[in-house]
Order: sequence, then C-alpha cells, then structure tokens
Amino acid sequence: MTDLLPVTAMGDSAPRSESFGPLTLSENAGLALASLALRQGQDAPTPFGLTLPDVARAVTSGELGAFWTGRGQWMIEAEGKAESDFAAALKAEAPGCSVTEQTDGFVVFEVVSEAGTAPLEALMSKLVNIDPKTLGPGCCTRTGLEHMTVFLVRRSETRLAVIGMRSLAGSLWHALSQAAHRLEY
Amino acid sequence: MLIPHPLLGLRDAQEFTYLGDASLLNRPDPVAPGAEAAFCDYVFLRDNPAGVHRELWFHEQGDRSWLVVTRNTVTHEILSAELASDVKAGAAQ
Repeated sequence: MTDLLPVTAMGDSAPRSESFGPLTLSENAGLALASLALRQGQDAPTPFGLTLPDVARAVTSGELGAFWTGRGQWMIEAEGKAESDFAAALKAEAPGCSVTEQTDGFVVFEVVSEAGTAPLEALMSKLVNIDPKTLGPGCCTRTGLEHMTVFLVRRSETRLAVIGMRSLAGSLWHALSQAAHRLEY
Repeated sequence: MLIPHPLLGLRDAQEFTYLGDASLLNRPDPVAPGAEAAFCDYVFLRDNPAGVHRELWFHEQGDRSWLVVTRNTVTHEILSAELASDVKAGAAQ
C-alpha cells in the first residue's frame, strides 16, 4: 500500500514558525474552519452555544470561535479539530443552515507580538489598506493583501490571525515574513 | 477613491470590482408581451451620462456584497452607497 505523508499547507511535515524581532509568525495547522450561511428568512442559530457575532466582529468561547464574513454568513473555527469532520459537527448544531467545510480551502497564520501593539500595527500598516486602530480586539475584516484576499481576525491587542487561500500559502507567508523581516531594521 | 460601504464604512475602491449601470437590477418580465424587445434593450442599451450615475459595484475582497453606488462620473464624487439586496427588496415591496 502507498505510504502517504501528511503535509501542511506550506508543504512541510510540521507547521512553520519563525520570529522576526518582536513578531512571531506561525502556521496554525490545527484550526478547523467551516462556513455557516443562513437561508432566506432564517434566524441565526447558536451552534455549540456560540452567539454569532454582528457585522465585522469575532467571538471566541474556549476552543471555538466565529467571525462575520458577510450578511447572514459566518466562519466557525475550532482549535485542534482540523483532522476531524468539523463541518458535520457544525451541521448537526445548525440544522437548516448551509454549512460548508473550509479547512482545506484556507491557511491560517497567527502573528503574535511580544512588544505590545506597535509592531503588529506597523506590520498591518505595511500590508493592508485598513486602519489598524479600527481593527481592535474582537474585530475582523476581509481585505486584499498583495492582491490576495485574506481574512484578518484581531484575536487580542497583540495577536492577529491572517487567513488566506491555502493554495497561495507560500506567497502569503512570503508577504508576511518579508514585511516582518524589514520591520526589524 | 473610497466607497462608503453601508455595513463596513469607508473602503478602498481597489477592494471592489465594477459591473456597470444599476438598471441591470430591473430585469424585464420574460413572459410579458414584447419581452424580446425589452430584453434586447436590457442587454444592449445603456445610458452613459456625464454626471450622476447609479452603478453596481461588487465588494470582491471584502464581504462580497453587491452595492448600488451613486457616483458623479464627472467629478468622481460618491453621493451614496446602498446594498443592492436592500434596493432590490425595496423595489419588490
């Protein structure tokens, strides 16, 4: 039988992580993603007890989280569940809603600053046309980053998740790491 | 150019793609008499005003909503932006 080796979105055997001064970039290979969309006239469910957030907001509850992606649409996240069928678990919690597996479509990079908000906001200023001050903790948005579309989820003052297309993981890592590297000087 | 998205606030026009005249929302009734002529006009005829124009923009690198943006094509001043789904729902009532 063929021996298959699991690889991350970057093609590595283990999730990549690299530090640039106060900023650490790491691939979050364990995060499961599934999108949830309401049908016309449907009320928002509360999957796993999560109250789905309002426009451009994100919520977390333990290992689970949700962020707004459009009107009546959210992305639901589950830490450490990437290798399980999270979409099926979510579908059972949100009957009648449209649920689609997204783990295999996206790559998640977590950017953490060890020196307060300044390095993180400097990195954002270099890369995205969004005012970092308006993207405070608990906010999320989707925007363009070097012609790639990405979700930005500000998990805390010093932590930002950049969620981009999985097939462009290498380009996204290059964009983030180059910008972080240049901030060191 | 910044587009005042009704939900997300001011967003760079680079995040959007442009479709054209918002009259595309008013699709003719395909079973009405004279539907063929009405569709011919709908598909091929556009006004091209120098001045205030209502147009469709798609927030592609954003929440992927369609907007009806009222823009002055001479000055590029943007007068308003509404969600196309709201415009369509309002017209149906």
